[in-house]
Amino acid sequence: MKHTLEMKNIVKHFPGVLANDRVSLTIQAGEIHALLGENGAGKSTLMQILYGFQAMDSGDIFIDGRRIHLSSTKDAIDLGIGMVHQEFMLVPTFSVVENIILGLGQGLGALLDLPKASSKTRDLSDRFGMALDPSVKVGLLPIGMQQRVEILKLLYRDARLLILDEPTSVLTSGEKDRLFAVLRELRKSGRSIVIVTHKLSEIMELADRVTVMRDGRVLGTKSIQSTSQQELAQLMVGREVNPHAVKPERRSGEPVLRIEELCVNDEGGVEKVHAVSLEVCAGEIFGIAGVDGNGQSELAEAILHLRTIRSGRVFLAGTDVTRTSVAQHRAKGISYVPADRRGVGSVAEMTVADNVVLGLQQRYTRGPFRSVREARSSAHRLAERFGIRGAGIDSVAGKLSGGNLQKLILGREITSGASLLIVDQPTRGLDVGAVESIWKELLRAREQGTAVLLISAEMEELLNLADRIAVLFNGRIMRVFDAPFVSVDQMGLLMAGIASPPGSASVPFQESQRDETF
Amino acid sequence: MTKLFERRLIPADSPGAVARTTALALLAAMAVTAIFFRYYGASPIQAYFGLFHEPFGTLRGFGYSLVRAAPLALVALGTIVSWRSGFYYLGFEGCFLVGAAAAGWLSLATVPGSRLGPLPLALFLPLAILFSLTVGGLWAGLVAFLRVRLGGNEVLISLMSNYVARFFLQFLVSGPLRAPGSLPETPLLPRDTWLPFILPGTRGHAGILIAVAAALFVWALLEKLPLGYELVVTGFNPAAARYAGIEVDRRMVFAGFFAGGLGALAGMVEVLGSQHRLMDGISGNLGFVGIIVALLSRLNPLAVVPVALVYGGMSVGADAMQRRANIPSSITFILESLAVLLVLASDVLRFYKPNFSALRLFKLRASDREDSA
Amino acid sequence: MNGHAIVVSAFIIAWLSASLRLAGPVLLAALGETFAERSGILNVGIEGTILLGALVSFLSSYRTGMIWTSLLVATLAGVTVNFFLAWMYVSVRASQVITGLVFNVFALGLATTVYRLVLGGSAAPESIAVFQPLRVPMIGRIPFLGPVIFGQTAPFYLTLLLAMVAQFVLYRTYFGLALRATGENPAAADAAGISVHRMRYLGTLLSGAGAGMAGGYLVLAQVGLFRETIVAGQGFIALAIVIFGRWHPLKATVAALVFGACDALQLSLQIFGNKVPPQFLLALPYIVTILAISGFFGKAVPPAALMKPYVKG
Repeated sequence: MKHTLEMKNIVKHFPGVLANDRVSLTIQAGEIHALLGENGAGKSTLMQILYGFQAMDSGDIFIDGRRIHLSSTKDAIDLGIGMVHQEFMLVPTFSVVENIILGLGQGLGALLDLPKASSKTRDLSDRFGMALDPSVKVGLLPIGMQQRVEILKLLYRDARLLILDEPTSVLTSGEKDRLFAVLRELRKSGRSIVIVTHKLSEIMELADRVTVMRDGRVLGTKSIQSTSQQELAQLMVGREVNPHAVKPERRSGEPVLRIEELCVNDEGGVEKVHAVSLEVCAGEIFGIAGVDGNGQSELAEAILHLRTIRSGRVFLAGTDVTRTSVAQHRAKGISYVPADRRGVGSVAEMTVADNVVLGLQQRYTRGPFRSVREARSSAHRLAERFGIRGAGIDSVAGKLSGGNLQKLILGREITSGASLLIVDQPTRGLDVGAVESIWKELLRAREQGTAVLLISAEMEELLNLADRIAVLFNGRIMRVFDAPFVSVDQMGLLMAGIASPPGSASVPFQESQRDETF
Repeated sequence: MTKLFERRLIPADSPGAVARTTALALLAAMAVTAIFFRYYGASPIQAYFGLFHEPFGTLRGFGYSLVRAAPLALVALGTIVSWRSGFYYLGFEGCFLVGAAAAGWLSLATVPGSRLGPLPLALFLPLAILFSLTVGGLWAGLVAFLRVRLGGNEVLISLMSNYVARFFLQFLVSGPLRAPGSLPETPLLPRDTWLPFILPGTRGHAGILIAVAAALFVWALLEKLPLGYELVVTGFNPAAARYAGIEVDRRMVFAGFFAGGLGALAGMVEVLGSQHRLMDGISGNLGFVGIIVALLSRLNPLAVVPVALVYGGMSVGADAMQRRANIPSSITFILESLAVLLVLASDVLRFYKPNFSALRLFKLRASDREDSA
Repeated sequence: MNGHAIVVSAFIIAWLSASLRLAGPVLLAALGETFAERSGILNVGIEGTILLGALVSFLSSYRTGMIWTSLLVATLAGVTVNFFLAWMYVSVRASQVITGLVFNVFALGLATTVYRLVLGGSAAPESIAVFQPLRVPMIGRIPFLGPVIFGQTAPFYLTLLLAMVAQFVLYRTYFGLALRATGENPAAADAAGISVHRMRYLGTLLSGAGAGMAGGYLVLAQVGLFRETIVAGQGFIALAIVIFGRWHPLKATVAALVFGACDALQLSLQIFGNKVPPQFLLALPYIVTILAISGFFGKAVPPAALMKPYVKG
């Protein structure tokens, strides 16, 4: 049965922004259709409308020429449209089958029939090669398998169109291959798949057609054969991508941070950082590249001693600081901009002025008392210099936008006079203007002799800013590059866990050497 | 049909809006309580007048208001310190009782011929304060310890600990500290250990001064000291606190200790200032009403003493009302708790904006109908 | 049997029988509360709800003399009153602990005032119609087991039945699955088309029903009268039983029995004219609760979303 889904002239406003500007899109049955665009291009909004989560302001949606009306996610599911989110909607303490049948009860007294549901689940799983055991608790499954449970949820409800939002952002390379295999099986069965992503190589590998969006509009739809990565990149960004910005010569000095054989476990006892050793010198930006979840945040937290270190040592300017407290770390000159700006880096309920003091509260004192005056003048200065807008220093920090909040946190940490600055995903979710400001400040800190440890999942950021880059995969350093000598391809392979000899041309794709113990 | 109220996206949070909705809630609480007054055949206006006249219109009544307010304020201050640090301690009844027990025991130990022998008040009082603070601090600090070390839920543990304290006091006044006779209470405490009366012609004692001093101290702690900053950050966001180098566990235990000390001080004040003996039931729910005082003060230490005075006064007025008009004093519980509940609920009103143009239209239409009728 | 054994067995029978008797109301309240907490709501207000249920059942039995009706009315009173609490918890998203606590003070004030109002000037009645212990022929005369297990009042057996029903509903129905999902990951439940609001309202109302009925149980099958101090923290003990029972109705039953046993101990030890001060034994259930909550008897993992308000989107 052929299905064609057509979205016509979709318009959606949010306060202050036109997220979808008369967007039109057609999805065929049995195709994998990529939706490409940068952050803020409008693709997430469009998909939210399609799976019933958001209402559109105007426009039409047709299935096979018949106009449909979507007022809830339930409507969408009933029509065979379902979404797999980036953040999984799973109950960790429930089994796979319980998660799948959640919400399917008809009537008040509906009884569970787990055996029947389990067998249907197993059949679907086998048919599409998902290898899922219905009785396993979802919380125990690795991320790749959890994602497949999400897909199975949709298939169980007879979805014909599946939308996947940035599905590979949290997957290892092996898991990604398995996902792609499943998606190809689904395509063979006549289902349609929309994959929202910004990863060009994957689009080229998997999709049949691709639609590019920018600033709320559709720029065009192309078939994969008729386009290339470069063309897509240019369409997506609208300008020449300049991977190497000009930065002053590196004049680095003595090593400020030295880590020796650091091993860190997470709360569940899983090893997250394995025998990591590195050195960061004054006046240098040392980048750590890697897909989220490979131990970067744990590494940063361990250096600051926000996390227990299982073994290994951390030295700051020669002094062993492995076991000292967080407060002492700060006193000795380590400052940290965490990845979670609202949950860790700031206190949303306190004023901007009070947030400027966070981490430095023992310094903003006059005698035994707090010096509110100093705090306020610091806050004014920070707001000036870093261009923090959107709230005065007496408004609560929760009112600041992501970019302004990040400027506040970065400003605070940079001006604390630390000799080592650790930043984790400093520009995640920020608009271009904010990104440029932050980059400028990081380079300025480097100029002034601060040692900077920059953890980022954005290659462009690392290539622009770092003097040396280490690739972290599965908690291990794969390689350390000197920035001018690194290629994006090599970094990508290493980030995916594929080691290759330095300087070699493209290596035939092989299964990763890491054994996958699940 | 235009709606009378539009829903906002973010609640209006100007001080004016908060004050308006709070006032509305208080009025609503008074209105509901008025219904009960009606049932007793009293006119609500008269009842409210009576409720407030005795404690604030007469000197004697005012003295009693001071007496009632002092322990309430101290418990409220303890609540503020612990809750704002993220330590949801509810064991103030227990702290009150152990503080009272400590003060009572110390006082009895100064009876001529016993351990300490008679002491001048200037020596005894600081000793009693210190002793009560320590005992209460340890009592609550233990709960804090259970929370940070073992992850125990301090809400439930502290609630349970109140009963343990109550039985402990019962044991003391039925056994070791009992006065000769059949009542479960201690003998009258030595006159030298009583808190001095500060308002001549009344029973108003120095406890209120202790409460005022404590209020200023708590305010200074939270606003002016780096330690206070650390406590408040811990209360808002423990993860951010750790990030800022704050030892969250230690701060929480400190908060517990300090709060317990304040709660115990409340008991000391009541025993040495008002009751002058230990007995079963000495706390009379003060440990919980004090929490309500804290809530109505919006966890602001400077508002505590005034609010405590109002509450203390109300309970004095309620007792007077019960004596004269046979209206049970428990009505004030209704008024107090309903006030807090409605204030909490009124926060939801700030999500709605009255549509004044719609109101005018409504009025216009109504008058149209009248004209054409 | 020699004299000593007779005394010991009399003690044990009295103790166990009292354990069951005292365990009943707290178990009932705990069962209801389990549903609330499984949906993500910590309803501290059950203490006050039990009191109001007790009052209502007392007044009803006083006026009508009909015990089952009074029990039902108490249950309905509990549900009604918890509508307000549910609104506060779910729609207003007020702090659950604070709301529940203040509500308890309100309930105390209300119950005291209404009780005095209704009695007027007259003294409390000597007795009202209450449940009598069941006399089961034949089985009831098995030595030892008979008087212990089969001499309880009807509400006790009703409670046991409800425990089994609760277990079934929670783990064998779609409703139970949806409820549990709401307490573990409300976003996932929402995505699955479940109304988190509705589940949490229902959870709270069920805890109100359990607490209201528990109040009726206290008055009609245990104490026989109403006093303002009739609850004395049993609502809080019910909260502890929920934790002790790992949010699991059948395990909660065992936990309730343990508590009943502690409580009953001080009553039964009177037989021996014991030297232990009674207050220590009275405090024992509360101390055991503290130890249980602190994890001395093993760590308990609550529903992940407990006490966390849920905002859509």
